[in-house]
Amino acid sequence: MLMLTAFTLITLDFRAGHSGPFAAMRGVAAAVFGPIERAVTAVARPVGDAFSSLGHIGRYKREVADLKAENARLNAQLRTTDADRRQLAEMQGLLHLAGRGQFRVVGARVVAIGRSLGFEWTATIDAGSGDGIRTDMTVINGQGLVGRVKSVGPTTSTVLLAVDGDFSVGARLERSGEIGHVDGAGSRPMTFTLLSAQTPLRTGERLVTVGSIGERPFVPEVPIGHITEVQRTPGALTRTGIVQPYVDFTALDVVGVVVAAPARVPRDSLLPPAPGKSPTPGQSPSTGSTPATKPNGSASPSPSATP
Amino acid sequence: MTGSRVALFIALVVSAILAQVTIVNRLPLPAARPDLVLLVVVSVALVEGPLRGAVVGFLAGLTADLVPPADHTIGRLALAFAVVGYVAGMLEDAEERTVTGTIVIVGLATAGAMFAYAGMGAIVGDGRVTWQSLARTLPAAVLYDVILAPFIVPFVARAVRWVDVDVVVRR
Repeated sequence: MLMLTAFTLITLDFRAGHSGPFAAMRGVAAAVFGPIERAVTAVARPVGDAFSSLGHIGRYKREVADLKAENARLNAQLRTTDADRRQLAEMQGLLHLAGRGQFRVVGARVVAIGRSLGFEWTATIDAGSGDGIRTDMTVINGQGLVGRVKSVGPTTSTVLLAVDGDFSVGARLERSGEIGHVDGAGSRPMTFTLLSAQTPLRTGERLVTVGSIGERPFVPEVPIGHITEVQRTPGALTRTGIVQPYVDFTALDVVGVVVAAPARVPRDSLLPPAPGKSPTPGQSPSTGSTPATKPNGSASPSPSATP
Repeated sequence: MTGSRVALFIALVVSAILAQVTIVNRLPLPAARPDLVLLVVVSVALVEGPLRGAVVGFLAGLTADLVPPADHTIGRLALAFAVVGYVAGMLEDAEERTVTGTIVIVGLATAGAMFAYAGMGAIVGDGRVTWQSLARTLPAAVLYDVILAPFIVPFVARAVRWVDVDVVVRR
């Protein structure tokens, strides 16, 4: 009986795709469970932070007793906990990247990670349709590409992470400008497939996104990762390489959803400075600071939702 | 099954699902993560037998299918956990409860759930399910679930006894 029901559900949902009653069911579930997930994370996170700072409090108290003059400084230190500082650094990194690309981002925090027995790499973020999030928007953080918005609830959204087996994005090599696509592969490393059979592929080459039409689902020039290994498959039409992403997908916290992108993003302007050698010759001056004014208006990124 | 037991199972399943997505899935463990929902389903099946185990497994799986950030065809986890609940209940009938027996059942249940989920994925054409990903995830997932089993299974059994003092728990 139950098996039959499950099979029926699978068939119906598979056939219906993105419309029909099951999409509505998922929407209801997102509306109900999304806020609960946000609440549980809000409760669970300070507990862990409190444990990690317990040791410090004990030590600081002795110091306060010995040196009353340091009291004020210690109080200030206690207020800015390690967790706050880490979050601030992540937020700054995100704003730095978004500012250089002139992207308008909505800040959000990851409240839940989905795995479904290890085959799925998705995340719930605490920003939804009320914050201006729509499906198929690019999600980034300070390091680079995180994923794209798969579905949106009233207060939360589901992000398909770049390591998911269903994820695929157009990518461009930093120097040569040759294009291909980067695919997630779940627990195995991401791969880059170069479309041209003539161009050589070298390790260490860095990859950025190629923008989609209308900047959805992907805005251009977001750093993805670099090639760590070139796979040689005799007789294959395309070349493939293993990609080490810049984003650490096991420690996701502060992310940004790109809600608006400028008409044009300078080539390779968002990549971090190359270690050892100087980055692309033409664009190196623009990597440090963003020009304050640009003709298209959106001068600085404005995270409209505080995480 | 009394009303208090139903309430207990609902509370257990919902808290397991929420703890799974907000805490367990964030842990930086290699290759896989333990699955609390699966462990709760197996624990309930060990107390309640195959039929109720299957029903609880089905409903728990269906909830896990719907709760964000789930992103797969609805019904796949429901099917996998219903099968696991049924089989775990059957195996429990056949033998005396020992620690080793429980651990073997949990290990088999984890492998069974993953094969059922992956099998349905292959049927509906899910590109995420490959032999490599299954081979990489399965051993670690079994290991983590087996490690957690001695904590979760007795906890659920004790909770059932606690809400239902007058009903003799099947052993």
